[in-house]
Amino acid sequence: MRGIALGKGRFGLGVVVASLLVAGCGGTESGGAGEPERLRIAVVPKGTSHDFWKSIHAGALRAEEELGNVEVIYRGPEREDNRDQQISLVQNLVSSGVDAIVLAPLDEHALVPSVRLAMQSGIPVVVIDSGLAAEAGTDYVSYVATDNVEGGRIAGRQMGELLEGRGRVLLLRHAEGSESTMRREEGFVEALATFPDIELVDPQRYSGVTTATAQVAAESLLTTHDDVDGIFCANESSTFGMLLALRSRELAGEITFIGFDANESLVAALAEGELAGLVVQNPMGMGYEGVRTAVAHLQGAPVDLRQDTGVRLATRDNMNDPEIAELLTPDLARYLEQ
Amino acid sequence: MSRFAGRPATAWLRTLAPALSLAAAVLVFYAIPPHPPLTLFDLRLVAVHAMIVGTAAIGMTFIIISAGIDLSVGSAIALVSVAAALVLEDGGGVGAAVVVALATGALCGLYNGLLITGLRLPPFIATLGTLGFYRGAAKWISGSIPVTAPTRGLERWVNPIPDPPWLLVAPGVWLMAALGIGFVLVLRYSVLGQHALAIGSNEATARLCGIRVARTKVAIYVVAGLLTGLAGLMQFARLTQGDPTVAIGLELDIIAAVVIGGGSLSGGQGSIVGTLAGAVLMAYLRNRSTVLGWPNFVEEMIVGHIIIVAVAVDRWRAGRSS
Repeated sequence: MRGIALGKGRFGLGVVVASLLVAGCGGTESGGAGEPERLRIAVVPKGTSHDFWKSIHAGALRAEEELGNVEVIYRGPEREDNRDQQISLVQNLVSSGVDAIVLAPLDEHALVPSVRLAMQSGIPVVVIDSGLAAEAGTDYVSYVATDNVEGGRIAGRQMGELLEGRGRVLLLRHAEGSESTMRREEGFVEALATFPDIELVDPQRYSGVTTATAQVAAESLLTTHDDVDGIFCANESSTFGMLLALRSRELAGEITFIGFDANESLVAALAEGELAGLVVQNPMGMGYEGVRTAVAHLQGAPVDLRQDTGVRLATRDNMNDPEIAELLTPDLARYLEQ
Repeated sequence: MSRFAGRPATAWLRTLAPALSLAAAVLVFYAIPPHPPLTLFDLRLVAVHAMIVGTAAIGMTFIIISAGIDLSVGSAIALVSVAAALVLEDGGGVGAAVVVALATGALCGLYNGLLITGLRLPPFIATLGTLGFYRGAAKWISGSIPVTAPTRGLERWVNPIPDPPWLLVAPGVWLMAALGIGFVLVLRYSVLGQHALAIGSNEATARLCGIRVARTKVAIYVVAGLLTGLAGLMQFARLTQGDPTVAIGLELDIIAAVVIGGGSLSGGQGSIVGTLAGAVLMAYLRNRSTVLGWPNFVEEMIVGHIIIVAVAVDRWRAGRSS
């Protein structure tokens, strides 16, 4: 689910300090004489520690840079499962009087009251990344996210074509209750079903949320299912865990393996042919479009209720195309460390 | 209270109980249709999956025998794995990585020990605090991103299929077994082991007997920290990256292994052999659940009850023998 490595951003304190400086400088500049008042747009991710959110941050900063009259305030809960902290955060932002909020809700239900509160206080909310169980257009302005079902379908179609319509395909599921990955798995299963001679092997096993748990799950699964022709995993950690398991069995590259999201190691594996494909989303685009949509709404322009930021299939053949390469290894440093 | 205090027959039963329950589990699972055979590869996998929990659980047994607990071990494993990865990424050799891993683990243990003895904090609270602290430190030094580093041959220690194959299981598993035997001897014959047992049985009495309780406790946490360091290094070798989010909740598996193996959270009781059997038993159940095609929730419900049954049987036996 979370993708795209930052590369050599070691000792990321530098990144944190740099981004604080960026935010800080924005604040002082807005007080500059003769300048029109800047719009303060709060961007609230699900957590602050994943690469995926760093990409969203970079995208938001890109919008800030392009639009000129905007100040992005990036603040998220430390932990990605802390719904309560995110709710408090949104409420605090409402009371601090930002102009708009771009929110990736941790929970489709738990955040609804806070979002309604913001809208009622005249602060428009744009929802990104994950859905909110509320009415688009009234409870929030717009929903900007990946079409996860389509992402899964792309993987399913590619799998069917690579296997030339016949064989057995194993699905290692990600985690119980993870909405985005369940949609991807749903799309994958749906697309694969259009190939009558492909048998889906779905033992209903879940990888858990870290690479280590995925590795253990994948190793165990492969003891009984090492005769499959294809494998699909629906997020970054399960894809990497499966890759490690395949390597230890010397099956990497032997089985047609399609994963979801990218990081440094997965991109390398794609280049080596150990992965037949990676479905990649566009988190930077999500941050970028989220902020742009909020600003457009504030300026009275009509916005679409649902915006798809797109998913693409990266393969060994197309991975060096500029468009795909940017999704695989986005230039985050340009925005986060300036 | 000590497992050596009972009658010889009871003591033997105690020692054999984990092995017997493992054997029972093997038979039970074989009896379930479609009777999946237990292949050598399955055994190799189970051994590797029990390795990290088992190694850390040896140290945890030592702590629990002295009536302590360490909730921070999962976070410490993550911190160690990141530290080792950073050393290797900076061009350090395997030796440097091993030293840094063990030192990081030992420092985590030292800090736990000092908090518990110096500030007189209950171990549960002190290590609840360091659980957050070590996790945060791991995220800090890694920049919150998994640190991918060259493994320089370390992965050979943890690969399920050993090289050469006549080793049967991964060298890391043999290392765990050797450490297990070593610590059985430490517990039984060393001053530290005997003092740990004495403190766990009755701290006040131990103090009256002239045992320097604080110093012994710090030593126990440092020794356990060294084992945590090794477990963290194994975790790095398996993932080929130092992941600051790895092993969240692993402390509960580690404590469960000790408890299944006959350790008592009120101290004075615990067995290294039992602990390792507990770790293997949990890994075995997970492996069989997958092989039998059961969904995850079945496995979780079973593993949960293994802990309950193990402790209940132990209580029942203790009640009868007293």
